Amino acid sequence: MINKKDSKKKIKRANYLSASQSLNIARHNRKMMRHFEKRNNRKNVPESEYLAEMKKPGNVVEFDDLHTYFFTDAGTVKAVDGVSFDVPLGKTVGVVGESGCGKSVTSLSLMQILQRPIGQIVSGSIRFDTGSKVYDIAKMPSEKMQKIRGNNISMIFQEPMTSLNPVFRIGTQVDEIIKLHNPEMDKEEIKARTIEMLEMVSIANCEGVYRMYPHELSGGMRQRVMIAMSLACSPRLIIADEPTTALDVTIQAQILDLLRNLKDKINSSIMLITHDLGVIAEMADYVVVMYAGRIVEKGTANEIFNHPSHPYTIGLMASKPSVNKRVERLYSIPGKVPNPINMPDYCYFRDRCEKRFGRCDGPYPNEYNLSPTHSTHCYLYADDQEERQDG
Amino acid sequence: MADKFKSTRIVDDYTPIVHNEENILEVVQLKKYFPIKSGLLQRVVGYVKAVDGVTFNIKRGTTMGLVGESGCGKTTVGRTILRLYEKSGGQVLFNGQDIHKYNAKEMRDLRPKMQIIFQDPYSSLSPRLPVGEIISEAVREHELVPSEAFEDHIDNIMNKCGLQPYHKDRYPHEFSGGQRQRICIARALALNPEFVVCDEPVSALDVSIQAQIINLLMDLQEQFNLTYLFISHDLSVVEHISSTIGVMYLGDLVEYGSKKDIFANPLHPYTQALFSAIPVPEPGAKMNRIVLEGSIPSPANPPRGCKFHTRCAYCMDRCKVEEPLQRELEPDHFVACHLYDQEPEKTS
Amino acid sequence: MSEMNKNLHSKPPAGDETRQHISTTMALDDEQRIKVLSPAMLVFRRFIRNRLAIIGVLFITAMFAFSFVGGWIMPYGESETFKKYVDMSKLYAGVTQNQDYQFVIAGEQDFPSTARAQFVLAVNNKQTDFEAQGKRYTVETISDELYVVSNLMTVAQAINVMKQYDISPAAGVSLPSDFNDAFISAIQTKADQFTAGGATYQIMLERKIYYAYKSEQLALATYNIMDLAVADAPISFEFRYQAEKAASQGQDATFSADGLNYALKVTDDTAELYRTNGSEQTLVAVLSRYVVSPLYSDVLVTIEFKDAVKQAIADGLTTFSFAQGDEAARQYTIERDNTQWIIRTVEDTLVIRAYDFPTREHWLGTDANGMDIMTRLMYGGRISLMIGFIVVLIETFIGVILGGIAGYFGKWIDNLLMRIVDIFNSIPSIPIIIIIGAVMDGMRIDPQIRMVYLMLILGVLGWPGIARLVRGQILSLREQEFMVAAEATGLSVYRRIFKHLVPNVIPQLIVISTMSLGGIILTESTLSFLGLGVKFPFASWGNIINAVSNVHVMTNYWFVWIPAGFCILITVLGFNFIGDGLRDAFDPKMKR
Repeated sequence: MINKKDSKKKIKRANYLSASQSLNIARHNRKMMRHFEKRNNRKNVPESEYLAEMKKPGNVVEFDDLHTYFFTDAGTVKAVDGVSFDVPLGKTVGVVGESGCGKSVTSLSLMQILQRPIGQIVSGSIRFDTGSKVYDIAKMPSEKMQKIRGNNISMIFQEPMTSLNPVFRIGTQVDEIIKLHNPEMDKEEIKARTIEMLEMVSIANCEGVYRMYPHELSGGMRQRVMIAMSLACSPRLIIADEPTTALDVTIQAQILDLLRNLKDKINSSIMLITHDLGVIAEMADYVVVMYAGRIVEKGTANEIFNHPSHPYTIGLMASKPSVNKRVERLYSIPGKVPNPINMPDYCYFRDRCEKRFGRCDGPYPNEYNLSPTHSTHCYLYADDQEERQDG
Repeated sequence: MADKFKSTRIVDDYTPIVHNEENILEVVQLKKYFPIKSGLLQRVVGYVKAVDGVTFNIKRGTTMGLVGESGCGKTTVGRTILRLYEKSGGQVLFNGQDIHKYNAKEMRDLRPKMQIIFQDPYSSLSPRLPVGEIISEAVREHELVPSEAFEDHIDNIMNKCGLQPYHKDRYPHEFSGGQRQRICIARALALNPEFVVCDEPVSALDVSIQAQIINLLMDLQEQFNLTYLFISHDLSVVEHISSTIGVMYLGDLVEYGSKKDIFANPLHPYTQALFSAIPVPEPGAKMNRIVLEGSIPSPANPPRGCKFHTRCAYCMDRCKVEEPLQRELEPDHFVACHLYDQEPEKTS
Repeated sequence: MSEMNKNLHSKPPAGDETRQHISTTMALDDEQRIKVLSPAMLVFRRFIRNRLAIIGVLFITAMFAFSFVGGWIMPYGESETFKKYVDMSKLYAGVTQNQDYQFVIAGEQDFPSTARAQFVLAVNNKQTDFEAQGKRYTVETISDELYVVSNLMTVAQAINVMKQYDISPAAGVSLPSDFNDAFISAIQTKADQFTAGGATYQIMLERKIYYAYKSEQLALATYNIMDLAVADAPISFEFRYQAEKAASQGQDATFSADGLNYALKVTDDTAELYRTNGSEQTLVAVLSRYVVSPLYSDVLVTIEFKDAVKQAIADGLTTFSFAQGDEAARQYTIERDNTQWIIRTVEDTLVIRAYDFPTREHWLGTDANGMDIMTRLMYGGRISLMIGFIVVLIETFIGVILGGIAGYFGKWIDNLLMRIVDIFNSIPSIPIIIIIGAVMDGMRIDPQIRMVYLMLILGVLGWPGIARLVRGQILSLREQEFMVAAEATGLSVYRRIFKHLVPNVIPQLIVISTMSLGGIILTESTLSFLGLGVKFPFASWGNIINAVSNVHVMTNYWFVWIPAGFCILITVLGFNFIGDGLRDAFDPKMKR
């Protein structure tokens, strides 16, 4: 009995950080944060330093081996740990993954609105094509970033209530954005443009809504206004971070409908971040599946949904109950995401994977291409790949 | 003037239920109005009709799914059934007993039999109690198990819910959302309940964790012969776990029947729209969905007649004036819609 | 982690067995990998991370150590008064020049005051005899300032009866045998006096009766005063008479009296009398017109000192030094005031050490009452801190109970209690306290009991804030799902309140209590400063600062009030820092 208790205590204690450990962590964090903050807050950086060139001209954004870390009290959280994918012009890229997989952090890195100084882009590059110039956002100092945000990239958030200022009328808020980007327009023109934008997002009573306050609108309407605002400056890229998660099913359907229609009308790229595979399937042209800060699989929507390759993608799809499919028992991926502070040196999914085999004990798998557009990080496909390379 | 008077009075007429042994829970014309108070004297000026005459029953050992959008009153139904809210009208029979007639002492003794699992695994656990205490405190208080078997009982329940005994000393903040939901489930099951209201238990969880919890709930149902009222806005989850399904809209139960009937043959226009709105993870699968116009009206001021008529594609003049009654179109398949009013007349 | 790996590897992947208990086998043990902190530890860590909070803790620890440990170490008492010796120019003796006759009366005789007055008249009129109360006296002038008064006593009378003198002695007088013959022969020779039996008699004729008087020296009238070397040494009239006589000559002389030989040395107005015994001379007495008298009863003025004083006065000096016995020579100053001289000397005097500047034994000096300020500060700190804690305790106790009741039961109880809170919030607390303080002043309430009342009043006036906080907190907690869950599991009301609600209110409670501690200490100091709080002899930082009400003290003795002000500042700052730190530690979101 005593022994049992002792061992119990030991386990418990093993779970807590010791004082010296946490001291070391704090010291390391301070050092790192100072280093990166210094870099971010530089003034008068020559433009050449953060000018870049796109690898493929058709892309708006290229993430190249992006590492974004959070220096927390418990240790360094590698929220994004080597992510590379492209967002082609005019296409919708869906980033899917569970909470904490780094999908939001990827988009925040792109906007440079990470929770600084804790969150920092540690390495890698984010090339963004503004149309005239290509910038590497990862190297861009904060002061220059201001212009890119809003002008070239806009964002739709999950909770529309908190993103609208409750004390201003809807019209005023949309007007303001249009004025900011089109200073030459006069009042009448701006108002006309605002109403046009509101019409575009299928708000029926746009003259009325123009004079309303945010609290007078329902959640769906507010999300429509948010979409109108993000479209107002015709950005190159729209980041939609869980745009329908907070909405009811019928409203979600409305918004998805709207977004799908808009997608064809505008020539912006959309980066759609969601955990809902259904939303991705409806909206996205390309899909990126993230797990524990890394991309496990990417490809076109058809490839991902019809031929999911990575065990995680397969598991994710199987674990979602579907009205059309009848299963006696849902498949559930056992276990849970590893602790982001203490990532294992082997495949992050190994411990939850039902298809693991001897090779999985090796280092984190490389990217293996299944088709020109479809690739995955899994040893299951390594043999094909290597054979192909050999042959 | 008469109108005003009427609006602050709750009409409470129902035919008392004849208890059927098969049913663990029978609900008839359940109403829950939340008063809107205003003015200096806090006079009641109106009601939010969160639940406005809901009738259904749940068979022992089955799961009833309750779906609907936010604000339709499904959570209120769950809580009023457990008498966490006092009803405004109607009747709730649990094992044939009208629990709203129980006094405080009787109610407390009944509590362990009916449990609830919440949506938010973060706010549903007291942050300053260790997990062992959270799970076992009510068991100890009700003296459900003899003290010598107490630890074993708790360990057993925790094990069943996928928790380790050493978790007892930890605090909720050390657990992830899925783990917390397991703790909630363990807390409910430790009391040996017969009936559990699952109030959106998986909505706040990640997909892979959702599946774990759903499976766990289904396993436990089998083991303990539990009856669930499964409240969710996610149709696919409800479809997976339930045997009967009720669809709520603005405090009304618009359609209610077995899962098979409802999914194969949704009758109410709202049910149809709801089903078609679910995004399906198949690219290009469903493009011809029924998209409902507008948003849900406020339950404080619901439309007259059929509450759905403002958004209904099949709206008739009659819908705007007359409230449709719930009728049994097929055996055990109830719907409240004027579209089907003529049909029984034709057949009879 | 190892446990988990074991689980993972021991089970074959996939397959139906795993499905049976997916959730239990390998599900959740990877928890072991996540390093977290216990909730208390988390709060503590966030707290110590806060630099300001640590400063606050240091401040408060220092103040506690200072007040409680310090007061215990300090050798001085709370109201111990310190005194010191100060070299003060002190009145030592007064000297006057004698203007009245000093009468030295011989033997046991009587020289009544009427007779003395008649004597003065007679001297002024240059008469040689006078009469008073039926007695006759003769005055013999020896010098201007020395007279001998004799008593004329009728010894016998002789009546000439037919050329025959009939001598009849006065009653009760025995006459020598040869008296009659001598008397008669003297009458016949018309002599003024005669001697018989060694005594001299005088004859006066009055209405044909001859009286024989015996003249007896009664008193010596002189301006001089004799100071004796030995205070109570008996001196005979004879000695005094001889000495005065010798002195009136104005030069050194020798004389003998009572069978002893004396020498007289004259210097200016004084004459020193030495007893000579062979070549040995001892000072016996000093004669002079100056009276040196001590101004305090405890001062003994020796003859040597008097002599020295007289010398100095006679020399017209303003200062002189004199060594008393074995002591070192001291400096004396002489001030002249008409016929008086005042002699001052600088002397060590015991005084209260008021407003002593900091020294080694009184690090912060002393206050108006000569009490050690450091010690007062320590004891004042005890009282201030204790009052702070007790008041917060009272506040919290009332606040938690009433706020908890209002929050938990709601409805009309909530309404009623919150209206009471409103009423308490609208009471102007400072005027109320001032009035109560004044009333207590009027009732002369014991300072110790007064302190208890002060705490009660502050506590009773302070609870509404805490009640409101607790009520708000409980109202919001009541709606939390874990409270609904507690109700659904059928927990008793008691358990719901004390196990679920109260622990969740405690963080806010700790924060607000810490914050209000500072406020209470300030209020207490303000009241004590105004003289309405803690009263002397008890120290409190407030009543120590009270010293600044005296402008002189404020400008000249900074060490009296600056340290107390500093103590208050540090303590209040400390509590506020800790409060802020705790709030941030309990609720890290609030900071952002």
